[in-house]
Amino acid sequence: MNAQRSRSPRSLRQTALKTAAAAAVVAIALTGCNANGDKNADSSTGTQGSTTDTVAGGTLTILTSATEVNWDPAESQNLAITTLGLVERRLTTWGVEPGKPGVVVPDLATDTGTVSEDGTTWTYTLKDGLFFEDGTPITSADIKYGIERSFAPELSGGLSYHKSLLEGGDTYTGPFAGAELPSIETPDDKTIVFHLTSAYGDWPWIVSQPAFAPVPEAKDDVATYSQQPVASGPYRVAETKSGVSITLERNDKWDKATDDVRTAGPDQIVFSLGQDATVTAQRLIADSGADKNAFGATFVPPAQLAQVANNASAKERLVTSDAGALAYLAINTERDGLDNVKVRQAIQYATDKQAFQVASGGETGGALATTLITPGIQGRVDFNLYEAPAGGDVDKAKALLAESGWDPASRELILVSEDDSVSLSKAQAIEQGLERAGFKVTIKPEAQLAATQTLTQGDGDYDLNVSAWQPDFPSANGNIQPLFDSSQIGNGGWNIARFSDPAVDALIAQATAEIDPVKAGAIWAQADEAIMAASPVVPLVFTRNSFLHGSNVENFYIPSFPAYPNYLKASLAK
Amino acid sequence: MSLDHDIVGPVASMKTSRSSSTLLSRLRRDRLAIAGLVTIVVFVLVAIFAPFLSSLSGNDPYTYHLDALDSSGAPAGWGGGISAAHWFGVEPLTGRDLFSIVVYGSRTSLVVGLGATFLAMLLGTVVGLVAGYFGGWVDTVASRIIDVMFGFPSLIFMIALGAIVPVSFPRLVLLVVIIGFFGWASIARVVRGQTLALRKQGYVRASTALGASHGHILFRQILPNLSATIVVFSTITIPATIGSEAALSFLGVGVAPPTPSWGRSIGDAVTWFSVTPMYLVFPGVALFLITLAFNVFGDGLRDALDPRSRGVRS
Repeated sequence: MNAQRSRSPRSLRQTALKTAAAAAVVAIALTGCNANGDKNADSSTGTQGSTTDTVAGGTLTILTSATEVNWDPAESQNLAITTLGLVERRLTTWGVEPGKPGVVVPDLATDTGTVSEDGTTWTYTLKDGLFFEDGTPITSADIKYGIERSFAPELSGGLSYHKSLLEGGDTYTGPFAGAELPSIETPDDKTIVFHLTSAYGDWPWIVSQPAFAPVPEAKDDVATYSQQPVASGPYRVAETKSGVSITLERNDKWDKATDDVRTAGPDQIVFSLGQDATVTAQRLIADSGADKNAFGATFVPPAQLAQVANNASAKERLVTSDAGALAYLAINTERDGLDNVKVRQAIQYATDKQAFQVASGGETGGALATTLITPGIQGRVDFNLYEAPAGGDVDKAKALLAESGWDPASRELILVSEDDSVSLSKAQAIEQGLERAGFKVTIKPEAQLAATQTLTQGDGDYDLNVSAWQPDFPSANGNIQPLFDSSQIGNGGWNIARFSDPAVDALIAQATAEIDPVKAGAIWAQADEAIMAASPVVPLVFTRNSFLHGSNVENFYIPSFPAYPNYLKASLAK
Repeated sequence: MSLDHDIVGPVASMKTSRSSSTLLSRLRRDRLAIAGLVTIVVFVLVAIFAPFLSSLSGNDPYTYHLDALDSSGAPAGWGGGISAAHWFGVEPLTGRDLFSIVVYGSRTSLVVGLGATFLAMLLGTVVGLVAGYFGGWVDTVASRIIDVMFGFPSLIFMIALGAIVPVSFPRLVLLVVIIGFFGWASIARVVRGQTLALRKQGYVRASTALGASHGHILFRQILPNLSATIVVFSTITIPATIGSEAALSFLGVGVAPPTPSWGRSIGDAVTWFSVTPMYLVFPGVALFLITLAFNVFGDGLRDALDPRSRGVRS
């Protein structure tokens, strides 16, 4: 679950590494994927990195706060362009270039899929010359087996979009008991066919997720695959020192001619695990010795962003994304008082978005948000139902509270927050804003895992929470459905506002089934506005993620989507 | 907090009433102790009058002043934003008045420091008295419990407790209870040792022979002779409990924000040190001064109460 949301730098990074769960996924995200995506972005706040010709050789070090990397594709929510993408290829992957919209591109497959007339059957053909690290050819059966094992209850924590889309997926329990999933057909070694329960236009994005990586059945050991995967990408896991480091070496069975997205510059890639975010940033600012060949997988904390602002050398090595994941204040719509829409609308006006933006690192930390769909997504309409200055409109909040008939002094609202200092300063920015209007807010700091538990399991014993959402694929579907569909309340779902509205559920279902992206986009925009009218969340900022790299690292950039650096192309200068 | 090493031998037959004047005159000669006492009094006054002091500059520790920050969230201006309005500058990312935060933070530190010490002394004295006086299996059981408490990884336990106790339970009380509960073992051991010696004294035996009750002997005969030990021990324990509170807040399991706490400010300030060092300096100096003051005052008090240890230092 770390992966899931982005609240704290800690969880974020882990996400980047482990990546999170789909749904909730990791942090932040999506930055604009199309040309108008950066409407809100202020170009003065940083660069998104640059590209140059790839030089081969050297040892690249990735400093991460995560203490382990789970390489099992069935248990991973990793973004296609980060850690797992170095070792495990999928049917499709993400074509991301600086300043260009992210697109889905073929990886193991020759194209992004051929769809039947009714939109429910997708066919893929594998490229020639694909081998695992041990020299055995990669066949469509390996991919089918990889997907099947993601259904097994013993392998949990991976993205699960495909599980409800594939026919029979709701009852299938994995291949270990001997059963196959008939809705995945492999008529020959090169062809794989998927039968879906309904038309789903974003399917090519789904098959770029980790579960669509090939796993050779003969080499599969559930207990060790998370440490020793069988590589299909340009690197293989050579050495793992638990909690300390993971070393990747070249996989010489990988053929560059079959791969358009990975440049495989460095000879070796070392993940240095368990690194503190502040220390990582300080080391990269200092840029001495081996740290010249390193980059940080962790967000640069606000304090170090301020430090970088006064350091010309470090400033050149700071890479900042466009407006990405939506940071928002979730209001538990089931709680006494908060079940009143007027009270929730009062919270919209009482919230001090400006203080929250400063707590996120100021302009560099994010751009103010008023909608749920992130900039750059098809169909997004920019609107603001609650016009107010950035610091909020306290008088209007008080007027709405008076109208609502609920006395905010009647009880304390519990704001659950992770207990790291970055999360707590964001929570305090919200708390002081709401108290101006007469709300009584108590911050409840919880360790990351405990906070996730409180929010996604059980019956919702909290009132408020500051969260951030990075969609798993660049579609409004990824923005809205996981956060506001009533099926996502509890049981690990990320509808932490516990928002349930049949009209919104119906709009979500209608938009999901719509194959025409333009028409779907219009329905999503309608859903966005309908949700905001009911006010289950307060959109705060579209966060920007900042990363630092050493002076010898080249081709280090953050694409429009996702708001994370592309590990697959980073290389070292001679 | 293993404070039981060198402190205080039995003060045996010194009478409290007679000794108070000599105690003061002895203390007065110890300038360091007087400086410590003055510092303590100043901090106590600051804590009591915190709202008044912070309102002098028109501030409180909760109001955001985003205009006092630059675009990256760091305090704008010299010395972390020191100005006529913000005497110690402002906190990064929030612009809250640092002077108010430090002033209000003394309340947290002193309430937890004094409260937890009082609780620890109360528990430790009772357990030590009972164990030392009755001996036998009572002593065996109590001593084993004291040993366990000494070896207990109390910090880890405090962190765990802080995480599971419901948010409705007042945080300050929780800190007082858990720090106090884990701090009584050393005083219990010292009190037990002295009680063992005292109960063999002639006047105790005489009381027993005259038919005095256990309660009378414990609280009227033995306890008064332990008072000096307990007072000195308390003074030296206070900085340790203040430190424990700061450590827990530093680790994020102390008082919940936005209640000011020096420990949490110090924890937050560490990452900001290279940008705005004054953010670390003010709460850090306050914590340093109060713990140092209690320590030197406790030292002076011990010397004044126990003439035998005086030669050692001078």
